[in-house]
Amino acid sequence: MATRCSISISSDIAPGFGGISEEMTLTQAGNLVDIDSTTGFAIRKLSATGAVDLVTMANELVEPKDSVAAKIYIRNIGYRDVIDKSVGVTIGVNAEPIGKLYGGDWMMMPLTCIDADDITVTPDNDNTVVIEYVMFYEEA
Amino acid sequence: MAITTAAVTLESDLLSDNMSVTASSTLMKAGTTADGLDQMEYGYLDLPTGDEYDLIATTPTASKASKLYLKNHSDDETYYIAVTQNAQAIGKLYGGDWMFIPADFHDAAGDIAITANGGTNKICYALFHEGTALVTT
Repeated sequence: MATRCSISISSDIAPGFGGISEEMTLTQAGNLVDIDSTTGFAIRKLSATGAVDLVTMANELVEPKDSVAAKIYIRNIGYRDVIDKSVGVTIGVNAEPIGKLYGGDWMMMPLTCIDADDITVTPDNDNTVVIEYVMFYEEA
Repeated sequence: MAITTAAVTLESDLLSDNMSVTASSTLMKAGTTADGLDQMEYGYLDLPTGDEYDLIATTPTASKASKLYLKNHSDDETYYIAVTQNAQAIGKLYGGDWMFIPADFHDAAGDIAITANGGTNKICYALFHEGTALVTT
């Protein structure tokens, strides 16, 4: 089966926009060999506004190969079945804010996996929120 | 209210049992549950090698709820585009790869920039947002 990810976007913003429907198989860099390592699927509960590492690249038990074809999926799943669309969690790479995931929002992003490029999460407020994530990468 | 939804399905057999995740999100304006993103930019273009280019020419309103979709449509799996934001490397999209991220555009330097490698890459992108600073002629 390998690792596959599909996206479907529909929108009524622009008349005639037919939507987007695409699928990708996660492969290693520059070839068609399936990607071979993962952090596994995990959740992280946050209850304070300070930035914390969601993924600390230097601490992975299986060292990721740098600057190739890694990907990460992240979703803000709220807390105890309550998904607050008005409060977000800022996702960052090496302290650079990439963007904010409001309740229910998800993202799929390529990564460098360089040790300095940790993935950080910073909630808007102290309300408890849970982030789910899984990273796929090549073993160094 | 304009309605834009983004759904994802992620499946993998790298674990001892198959993993399958599905999720769908309605893209709302920042901090609200009542108003959806109501503007968009959509394009398909050739990206030549040699220089780094800003993907988004206009500047969406900073720190709002913009979402960016970007796919490398190159047929050659050795081709890739390097993606950066504010000079911070995000990662590489090889031929066939796509990404979908919340885009912060926190200041004028917060643009998403892309660089083609291997040859001219074909890309498709869509930006869903809630306002841009239009450039006067």
